[in-house]
Amino acid sequence: MRGLRAPGWLLLALPLVFMGLLLVAPVLRLLAQGLGTADLSLIGVWSDEHLRWRLAWSVLQAAITCLLALVLGLPLAWLLARLSFPGRWLVLRLLMLPFVVPTLVAALGVLALWGPRGIIGQPLAGWGIDLTETPWLLLYGNLFFNLCLVVRAGVDALEQVNAQQLAAARTLGATAWRAFWRIEWPSIRPWMLSALCLVFLYCFAGFGLALVLGGHRYATVEVEIYSLVAHELALAEASVLAIWMLGLTGLVALVYAWIERRLAAPVRTSPLPRRRPDTVGAWLALVGGLLLLFLLCAAPLLAIVWRALLALSDTGAAVLAEPDTWQAVGNTLRFSLMALVLATVLGLAHALGVHALDQWRTRRGEAAAAGWALGWRALEYLPFVVSAVTVSFGLLLLYPDWTASLALLVGAYALLAYPFVARSVTAGLDAMPPSLGHAAATLGASPWRVTWRVVLPLVAPALRRGMAFAAATALGEFAVSLFLSRPEWTTLTTLIYQRLGRPGESNLDAAMLLACLLMALALLAFVLIEGRPRRTSNQHA
Amino acid sequence: MLELREIHKQWQQRPLLRGVGLRVAAGETVALLGASGSGKSTLLKIIAGLDEPESGTVWCDGQDVTRWPPEQRRFALMFQDFALFPHLDVQDNVAFGLVEQRLGRRQARDEARAMLERFGLASHARSRTWTLSGGEQQRVALARALITRPRVLLLDEPFSALDADLREQLRREFLLRINEAGMAAVLVTHDEAEARAMARHAWRLQDGLLQPLW
Repeated sequence: MRGLRAPGWLLLALPLVFMGLLLVAPVLRLLAQGLGTADLSLIGVWSDEHLRWRLAWSVLQAAITCLLALVLGLPLAWLLARLSFPGRWLVLRLLMLPFVVPTLVAALGVLALWGPRGIIGQPLAGWGIDLTETPWLLLYGNLFFNLCLVVRAGVDALEQVNAQQLAAARTLGATAWRAFWRIEWPSIRPWMLSALCLVFLYCFAGFGLALVLGGHRYATVEVEIYSLVAHELALAEASVLAIWMLGLTGLVALVYAWIERRLAAPVRTSPLPRRRPDTVGAWLALVGGLLLLFLLCAAPLLAIVWRALLALSDTGAAVLAEPDTWQAVGNTLRFSLMALVLATVLGLAHALGVHALDQWRTRRGEAAAAGWALGWRALEYLPFVVSAVTVSFGLLLLYPDWTASLALLVGAYALLAYPFVARSVTAGLDAMPPSLGHAAATLGASPWRVTWRVVLPLVAPALRRGMAFAAATALGEFAVSLFLSRPEWTTLTTLIYQRLGRPGESNLDAAMLLACLLMALALLAFVLIEGRPRRTSNQHA
Repeated sequence: MLELREIHKQWQQRPLLRGVGLRVAAGETVALLGASGSGKSTLLKIIAGLDEPESGTVWCDGQDVTRWPPEQRRFALMFQDFALFPHLDVQDNVAFGLVEQRLGRRQARDEARAMLERFGLASHARSRTWTLSGGEQQRVALARALITRPRVLLLDEPFSALDADLREQLRREFLLRINEAGMAAVLVTHDEAEARAMARHAWRLQDGLLQPLW
């Protein structure tokens, strides 16, 4: 275990240099552009009514989504954590689905359900109710993505609640309801707050959903930045908006990091056993909860499949015979594969580097989870904090001669995908008892052999899971492709967007069919890469 | 023979070991007792090469091994949680050290199976480690430690995860096998009865210093 410091730094250097070139430098360039402009000051944005509304609405829609996700997600999480019923594991597994589905597919799913020609939207239109140009479509899309995140966090948090504390509260006279508010809620609150910070970040910095579902009135700042850059070439205004985005996302990310630090070492206590729903009320609550989950998280995807099947039997099927479609499929797969390889190398290097430095610090008698150690871990989140639009815009400004280069495009894809690998492998390494590495070393294995024979096989499931999310992210990447791609590099996401922008039902049908194809690709990639979870680490003792 | 000279170690800016010295002859087992946090396990890690002392030296058979990495020392360490590799079956766990000594994989497995036979675990050779009982896991850990014929055997609270009856039975078995192998052994424990049953000499680690008990 000697000599961990130098390999640790060497491993960390790779992702740090990469992030420096593709994230920090472009953001600094963007700051210089925005702060150096004479056309519009940082404060001046707020005196422009249009831009003020964009900023205010971006914050508001993220906040409303957080509130709705908490109000709907907490009872759902409680039902899933406390009740035992057939198919519970399947519901928990399906909660991962929105994380795999590309944003553009989700946006089309919402349109397929609630749009003017949607399964529910069309009858509504017959009664004179048109949901386009209202905030509801965007909020529904936001909930599709984020409700599952809050429910998952809630289930994990509720499983950490100490059964003995709850029993003590009940014997001291608290009703079930009072025990929830006085014992369970304070214990799960940090987890819920942490999840809500992520929800806020995703909604605030999201692009695809707002572009397709926001319309003219309810689009967000990210869409405005894209319009200013791509359609109006107003770089100064766009960079000032991007600075506001950076500041606000940075602020929420700081709150998130602060909460996460408090959660760094959760204490595993005896969890509450799950019970079967034994009353009519419990069954009604369970069925109602699952129906709500279905309506918000599964129905849009089924609606896409339904619309795609209809399109197949109609004019939309022609899109499958077009060479553009298969070129886009080829590009999507090619870019995603290259990005996945790069993201895996970067993510592994980051996680193993942090792990080596942690071990080195621990041996020196420093607490592993303190100060700089947490800082290196927090860096894994950095690409999540800066939105894809901001990164792409910064790259355009900093490397104008490289904007149509494959290296930059794949680099930007990998930048957005690699945190999934790094986070997953770091969690796998944290869960691995240090004694395994120590045992291998005392049995004659050098540090390199310990990594090869013990560490990598044990973190393989975590690596595969991280790679599966990274692949799904790369396949569904939209903002970067829109900013940095050449016309002949059309991907499935940009092709879907092109089709949406053209008039006529056949184009909408074609977009639905392409979205279905993209969803199938993303799910297939996820399932193939993740494989079947195996029973290995942490179950040996 | 194992010898420690003037080992100093700090932990979070506080002195943990303050000039510890110890000699263990080949074929001899000594016990280190002490309260939680007294530095027993850290001392064991320093001997194994998994931790570095601020000053002081570790000697084995007349060689200063203080700066040697753990894989070159040939000191086997047995852990409280057994530290069996969950991704390998029982036989590959036992063969792990032989493979690191560049023995062919087939030969390493043959030797591992022979070792498991001696330990009464032959029927579990292809089992996954987590399917074994606590006592069986402990025997596998000992077989894995002994198969490479280490110069020193280090035992870190090896029986603390087991129930009382099994602990007593395994103590006897361990003592027999350690004596057979004829190596120096250091047992870290907080249980004085265990130390008396297994070790010829014992020290208590208190305030960073070793005090002789018997």
